[in-house]
Amino acid sequence: MFYREAGQFKTSYAADMAVFPIRQDRIGLAVILMIAFVGIPLFGNQFFLSSVMIPFLVFSLAAIGLNILTGYTGLISLGTAAFMGVGAYACYKLTTFFPDVNLIVWILASGFVSALVGVLFGLPSLRIKGFYLAVATLAAQFFLQWSFVRVPWLYNYNTSGAIEVPEHDLFGIPITGPNALPETRYLVLLTIVTVLTWFASNLIHGRIGRAWMAVRDMDIAAELMGIKLLDTKLLAFAVSSFYAGVAGACMVFLWYGSAEPEVFTINQSFLILFMVIIGGLGSLLGSFLGAALIYMLPIALRVLPASLGVPIAAATVEHLQFIIVGALIIFFLIVEPHGLARLWQTGKQKLRMWPFPY
Amino acid sequence: MRAPGDGHGIMAGDVLLAVDGVSLSFGGVKAITDVSFDIRKGEIRAIIGPNGAGKTSMLNVINGFYHPQKGRITFKGEMRRRMRPYEAASQGIARTFQNVALFKGMSTIDNIMAGRTLKMHENFFWQCLRHGPAMREEVEHRRFVEEIIDFLEIQAIRKTPVGKLPYGLQKRVELGRALAMEPELLLLDEPMAGMNLEEKEDMSRFIVDVNNQYGTTIALIEHDIGVVMDLSDRVVVLEYGRKIADGSPAEVSSDQAVIDAYLGVPH
Ligand SMILES: Nc1ncnc2c1ncn2[C@@H]1O[C@H](COP(=O)(O)OP(=O)(O)OP(=O)(O)O)[C@@H](O)[C@H]1O
Ligand SMILES: [Mg+2]
Repeated sequence: MFYREAGQFKTSYAADMAVFPIRQDRIGLAVILMIAFVGIPLFGNQFFLSSVMIPFLVFSLAAIGLNILTGYTGLISLGTAAFMGVGAYACYKLTTFFPDVNLIVWILASGFVSALVGVLFGLPSLRIKGFYLAVATLAAQFFLQWSFVRVPWLYNYNTSGAIEVPEHDLFGIPITGPNALPETRYLVLLTIVTVLTWFASNLIHGRIGRAWMAVRDMDIAAELMGIKLLDTKLLAFAVSSFYAGVAGACMVFLWYGSAEPEVFTINQSFLILFMVIIGGLGSLLGSFLGAALIYMLPIALRVLPASLGVPIAAATVEHLQFIIVGALIIFFLIVEPHGLARLWQTGKQKLRMWPFPY
Repeated sequence: MRAPGDGHGIMAGDVLLAVDGVSLSFGGVKAITDVSFDIRKGEIRAIIGPNGAGKTSMLNVINGFYHPQKGRITFKGEMRRRMRPYEAASQGIARTFQNVALFKGMSTIDNIMAGRTLKMHENFFWQCLRHGPAMREEVEHRRFVEEIIDFLEIQAIRKTPVGKLPYGLQKRVELGRALAMEPELLLLDEPMAGMNLEEKEDMSRFIVDVNNQYGTTIALIEHDIGVVMDLSDRVVVLEYGRKIADGSPAEVSSDQAVIDAYLGVPH
């Protein structure tokens, strides 16, 4: 009874086409943004900001990227981590060459570098689909990962083979490096994620998003309606890799502070794929829910039993995590392919009816 | 809805599409053998024939999905060895499919809106913002789509994912999606297959209305001979990939070869 649109009549198509047509949803979004932008930086402690929120946002962004490709356009990719790596290394090189340019500019620019690489590896998608495309993206994963190790130019010939992020300022406030406060890094990242999520939502609700979904659902019909398959798929690869690239740059610059090639492995690609599957294929909200669940599950497993006084070994936590994630994936693949996002929708639908059963 | 593109100098009754000596085979299977016929602007042209006669293949040749080994296609006065799907769509050929080929995960509105893709041009930048020109374009096309929705009487299922709709309604949405392209030539592949009598009557009415109100030329594949006789201006009959008759419904139905084909006289 509390959540319903009664009395909210749409008087124009523009209003009906809004992304959040129901007022309660808009209020809810405003509250979430308030908490995220004001509440968390004010009241969150170091640990919560650096080890929970920042990683969560980075993974959410990467999951949105993969969701655009896999959830919306129906093209499976196992190379997300590699494209994140492209973003990270591109950002590292760009900041080495032009250290005085605003870092945000380079983070976004590395997204474009990653987009370019994504398009390159997306080219086979016109000819191959499904399993075979997954294998092609796997090739991208291994090739790029190999370059991160074997091309010393990428890490400025450091003997360690790792990249170290120097300090960068934004309007005089350090946003990277050891002197950057978690609050600042978090807010910069949150702003990037918020704006990019808004862009993604806009794309998805317009002509381009419909073309993506049309290709996903029935490529033959899409083609016969004048949707160019190659262009549409490559655009999905580009946008998806852009998001992954920005996420990768943010991961190294705003979270880790340094990175080794081992960060961008196939394991991480799978992790992000699991986030998308569990969160919900074809749902932006799902990308956040999936990232939250998969990333925070191990933290919760570690922190909760300890705070309840139950001793639990680190190895046990890791095993538990595998078991739970595995079970969840099987559950969602079989029972609810649309993931947590759909469960949320169903819940809202129930709330709309409540307290009446029908 | 506006009447779709005139101004190509093709008047009602002129030849809009001509198929000339088309042959198509898949490996050893001959789907179409040396078939020629034409479709005139403004008419409803039925294509009939027993199962496997090559009707669907013919439509696939016309909109460029299959490339014939032999023959030519002339559309709006332009002759081609083969059509390309994108070209066919942008030149004004739309179609529906024998086995509904909707975008299952999308709502009715989004399916029909997808039919407007070729008419929408706002660039990526505006699409990212979904404001200004992009939103104006979106609203303008939504208005057009709502007219189609009213016309097809599917207001109640606007926001339903089409995968959940009953078959009859899916066929209707698919017609809507094709109409959204404002086609000059509409290819309908068994639009009434699997429908009950009432649904067939509705669908027949829509087809006739589209033809009358917007002057859309229609090529119609249909197995129900009653429907064909009532709706079509001219009929072409295929059997085993060959054309065996071509003419008005009355002529065709009294043609001995056609009667044999339908009664299954052995060759
Ligand atoms: N993609 C394909 N590959 C191989 N053979 C095909 C293909 N498409 C059609 N054919 C063959 O071409 C012939 C004509 O098929 P088509 O689908 O055009 O017939 P139809 O007249 O539409 O039949 P129906 O009334 O059953 O829909 C059939 O023998 C069919 O098996
Ligand atoms: Mg057929």
